[in-house]
Amino acid sequence: MADRTILEISDLNVHYGQAHALQGVSLAFGLAPVAIVGRNGMGKTTLCQAIVGLTKASAGSIRMEGQEVSRLPSYKIARHGIAIVPQGRRTFPSLTVDEHLRLASTGKGGAWTLARVYETFPRLAERKGNGGTQLSGGEQQMLAIARALLANPRYVIMDEPSEGLAPVIVDHLIDVLRALSKDGIGLLLVEQKLALATAVCDRVEIMLNGRIAASTTAAVLMADLPMQQRYLGVASAGH
Amino acid sequence: MTGATAATVVLNGLTLAALYFIVASGFSLIFGLMRTVNMAHGSLYLIGAYIGYAVFEPLYDRDLWYAWYVAILVGMAAAALFGILMQTALLGWMQGQELRQALVTIALSIIVADQLLARFGGTPRQFFAPDALFGSTSIPLIGNYPTFRLVQIGVALAVGIGLWLLLNRTRIGLMVRAGVDDRPMLAAMGVNVPLVAVAVFALGAALAGLGGVIGATAQPLAQGVDARFLLTALVVVIVGGMGSIAGTAIGALLVGLAEQIGQALFPTYSVILTFLIMVIVLALRPQGIMGRAR
Repeated sequence: MADRTILEISDLNVHYGQAHALQGVSLAFGLAPVAIVGRNGMGKTTLCQAIVGLTKASAGSIRMEGQEVSRLPSYKIARHGIAIVPQGRRTFPSLTVDEHLRLASTGKGGAWTLARVYETFPRLAERKGNGGTQLSGGEQQMLAIARALLANPRYVIMDEPSEGLAPVIVDHLIDVLRALSKDGIGLLLVEQKLALATAVCDRVEIMLNGRIAASTTAAVLMADLPMQQRYLGVASAGH
Repeated sequence: MTGATAATVVLNGLTLAALYFIVASGFSLIFGLMRTVNMAHGSLYLIGAYIGYAVFEPLYDRDLWYAWYVAILVGMAAAALFGILMQTALLGWMQGQELRQALVTIALSIIVADQLLARFGGTPRQFFAPDALFGSTSIPLIGNYPTFRLVQIGVALAVGIGLWLLLNRTRIGLMVRAGVDDRPMLAAMGVNVPLVAVAVFALGAALAGLGGVIGATAQPLAQGVDARFLLTALVVVIVGGMGSIAGTAIGALLVGLAEQIGQALFPTYSVILTFLIMVIVLALRPQGIMGRAR
């Protein structure tokens, strides 16, 4: 693989009490975007949260640019250049849109600036002064994405970023996500919408019961309906 | 009751509310970010007052004009330092375990009260306000009114405005407000949340220390005052809404006015009035007047 590894996960395990949610997952990610697909409850969100320290791994290693981060508190992991768009968005209800973005922008420079965010998501500019509770689900989602990008991470993890977005915005999101590698930002995309996942990423990993069940490409997966049936339980590509 | 008496009673209520606000705002701030019910908040008040007094006395004996101002600074610093110690040495290790934190802070408050009793004895003490803030000021309708009580209102206003600016106009304020909503997510953005927590604890404690010196200038400082102020701070933030500065101001106003008006109208039963307010608020709006339901 020509793509140099940025983020490397080896034999990662997560337990929730008795439940073994992540069972020895090993993956290496470079600059090229990677999609993780799978049905609900297969461990995709757990994997995302374990990488950024929102969930503690019980065993295994996570290396960012060669440095072990799996035992670090999450604020230190973030400082290694990993950002997350978490499931459920988790925007702050007490903060306005503008306050969110000012909190997120580090001021250290980078491809993503406040001005570029407002240009990319004009809707956020319109809602600048609105508090987190006054935003629609789709607006909160845009805010969560903008918040992660403003950190100018080396690697960004997005857990269902299209949730709640109108179709026209999803098309726009695809363009934004495809262009991330040009800014030097790697992307791990967890997505239920197969059409979106395959539009952004060539490489697709399929999760089943806390393990990586198959590694494939977007083209192969889209052509292989039985495979979609087996792992995703969908009859057609996309919803 | 004449108009002048009524006005005086209301003004007394406002000055008392000002003191309650200073003390309770720190309590509310600490609870808001950390969900820590700091049962040692009254001890921070005592520490600020007694340590401030220890510095004040020799300076005052030498007739130095700045004795009281130094006491304010030292009282705040001492309380802040103790607060930092509490958070880093004890409470930070049991983040999210609210019952354990409450019990630890109750234990601390007992230890602190006894240590201060051993060191300073049981004789009541009182600061003397500096000449500039002493004496009386003429107010229309009321006549002469103690200047220092008006200063008390001024300090409370300054604290309220300062906290508002801090929370709404600064980056650290953004962190605090975001942390109230979702601490883990804030940390995932790269913010050193434990450090923010220590800073907030220090600020909340410093406000208790400020309240200690101001309060011990207005009324004598003695053992047991800590329990009184802790109880009042609890009532104020329960009525106003935990973690809200505006709510704390409203709660302090209600409690301060109720105490003074109650004492003027029906002295024997005035104590009930405060708790009556609490009962009504809890029945109609359990999260407090400005509190958000969670």
